[in-house]
Amino acid sequence: MSFQQADNAPEADFSTRSFLVVDDFQGMRTILRDILRNCGANAKNIATAANGSEAVAQLAATQFDVVLCDFNLGKGKNGQQVLEEAKVRQLVGPACAWIMVTAEKTSDAVSGAAEYQPDAYLLKPITEATLRLRLAKIWAKKMAFAEIDRAVRQGNIAAALACCDERLRTDKANANDLLRTKCDLLLASGDLARARQAFETILAHRDVPWAKAGLARVLMQGGDYAGARTVLEETLAVNAAYLEAHDLMAKTLQAMGDLEAASAAIERAVRISPNSATRQKNLGEVALRLGKTDAAEKAFRRSVTLGEHSILKTADAYLGLAKACTANDRPEEALRALDQVDKTFDDETVRMQSLAVEGMVHHKAGNAGKAKEIAKKLAQTAAASPGETQLTLDTARLLLATGARDEAVALLQGEVRNAPENAALLGEVKDIFSAAAMADEGAALVETSRKDAMEQMNRGVLLAREGRHDEAIAAMRAAREAMPRNVRVLFNLTHVIVAKLQQDGGADPVLIEEARGSLAAAHALAPGEARYATLKASLDTLAGVR
Amino acid sequence: MSKPLAPAFPSVDMATFLASSAHDMKNSISLLIRGLEGILGTVDATSFAAYDDLAQMTYEAKRVNSNLIQLLTLYKIGQDIYPFDPQPVALGDFIDIIAAQSGELLKSQGVALEHACEPDLYWDFDEDLVTGIIGNAFNNAIHYTRDRVRLSAARVDGQLELRIEDNGGGYPRHMLDECADCMRGVDFAAGSTGLGLYFSAIVARMHRQRERCGEIRLENGGALGGGCFILRLP
Repeated sequence: MSFQQADNAPEADFSTRSFLVVDDFQGMRTILRDILRNCGANAKNIATAANGSEAVAQLAATQFDVVLCDFNLGKGKNGQQVLEEAKVRQLVGPACAWIMVTAEKTSDAVSGAAEYQPDAYLLKPITEATLRLRLAKIWAKKMAFAEIDRAVRQGNIAAALACCDERLRTDKANANDLLRTKCDLLLASGDLARARQAFETILAHRDVPWAKAGLARVLMQGGDYAGARTVLEETLAVNAAYLEAHDLMAKTLQAMGDLEAASAAIERAVRISPNSATRQKNLGEVALRLGKTDAAEKAFRRSVTLGEHSILKTADAYLGLAKACTANDRPEEALRALDQVDKTFDDETVRMQSLAVEGMVHHKAGNAGKAKEIAKKLAQTAAASPGETQLTLDTARLLLATGARDEAVALLQGEVRNAPENAALLGEVKDIFSAAAMADEGAALVETSRKDAMEQMNRGVLLAREGRHDEAIAAMRAAREAMPRNVRVLFNLTHVIVAKLQQDGGADPVLIEEARGSLAAAHALAPGEARYATLKASLDTLAGVR
Repeated sequence: MSKPLAPAFPSVDMATFLASSAHDMKNSISLLIRGLEGILGTVDATSFAAYDDLAQMTYEAKRVNSNLIQLLTLYKIGQDIYPFDPQPVALGDFIDIIAAQSGELLKSQGVALEHACEPDLYWDFDEDLVTGIIGNAFNNAIHYTRDRVRLSAARVDGQLELRIEDNGGGYPRHMLDECADCMRGVDFAAGSTGLGLYFSAIVARMHRQRERCGEIRLENGGALGGGCFILRLP
């Protein structure tokens, strides 16, 4: 009993812990330092930093137990960007308690991605009582999650889930977080049926926004986009400013190929939280697809500015800006953006993408020779570096523009065959054909490739159902050869091998290895697919103690 | 000089203009409060003659600050951009924190605060918003109580009930009516409703479960025989 007590509410011991206070106002740093000392912290264990760079330098030099960081740090990095950098560079471990201090409650301050969220947000003014209680809660939570986190790090999801269930029986204070973690684990491992059941159990009891969003995620992962949209509409009707629901809605609509509606959903999210580099980039990409080139340029510019000090910045915003500037007949600005890409990002794929966009700039500016030269160079590398869809699409666009029709068609058909059920991709490919004045021909090509791929994807499964296992495996092997990145083909190859082994009752190690390889490739391409968990379990049974 | 005069009121969005001004004022008030508290912390209450005046000024500044925060929150709610965030809250901790924070303030006004909470009580609500409601209720209680205020939380009829009760002569008739009007959704601009009650009513109604939504009520009587402010959340 006394152990249980200690487990749930550990004494908030400040005296042995080290603290970092980050605030751009000297006065505020002094106040926070005084509060910490009143809570029992040792003065020589309290370090301070006046801006983001100073904070990062301090974090790199010392392992802090607690970081109290203001969100708004004036010029340079904001608090969220400091946290992101600390996590990405592993300057803080899972034991570090990070508290983000904000002046007011806005979605901007509280909308980091899940893996980059602080342990708590505290609204100013901060008092001794709130800080003490909050830290005690965080420390209790870290203790409750230590074992679960360890299991997750070791990749043992089953153990982590068992641990969640065991804790849920006694730990009332962390019940919500434990339940959320359990659901997230089920979703991440692709166990959609159990995830759905878990969310529905919660929702049968209470309308909990995160469980609603979770249910939408389950439906999205299972491909039921219409169902997901309905759930999200219900959520937003009650809580119109629920950012995660808007983001999921945008994704759902994009997956359904409804770009107009997706754009409206992103715009609503941007109104709630205007300062997210990722969301502005997404807005720019959809606007560009819809031909709203001015809006796209504005969004991309905003994204570039917002991400300037972020360690998580991507080349996409810069590339998007270059495309938008090209569309808006400002080639010099497009080239400037591309120049920035080359200087900022040291990545081969990004360099290729930048080159593809540069080719389009020259093409649009009437410099046909230069565009052709770049197209030729890219055509060779694009065929050699599969798996980079955006690069392939950009290359195909340039090839079409410069008259290399056959090469472009081959590349685009390859993409369609690898993801024939991806409505968003099919739409984009059709748009690329349309832009090259090949709308009808392009649509027909897309349809042929799609049909052909669907047929090949299912052939093996149909043969297996008739008991023709060897033919089924041969068919799926051929399909994999033709469509190496088609997730359903990879799953189906695994499936037909499993079916054969189950019928034969033998554990042919070569076949099991082949099935494992195919399954791993599918999982790498589409993590969190429902079939992964079941097929993996079947393979383990076949290979293991039987 | 044939150019027509610009209209006296340019067609700006007045609500946005007011909100951004309120935001600016809030920042100044925060600095003011920080300064006042800094001075209060360095002087001795018994030897510094103006200590009580300074404490009163701090109290008033904080009241203005919380009013501005409520105005801004109402603006955001109206614009559908307030990040409404219901989370399970441990009521015991919640009540303790509020008692620790408001206890000093009430004591300075000569009011003793007692508090009670049903054990092991957890409830889903937006902690910041509900803290705002309780703050309002304390401000009212200070006006109407004799010398005691009681804050309590319990589960009643499958809902969470938070009560702020006092031992004064009870709320006057017009306050009771005003509160009932608030819950009926009377137009704020048309009536004489105070900001505090209006804010509380809006926030209570935002907390919904299926067909039920939260409500506030004023009554006379209760545990201490004076006024009671009751917040119920589904």
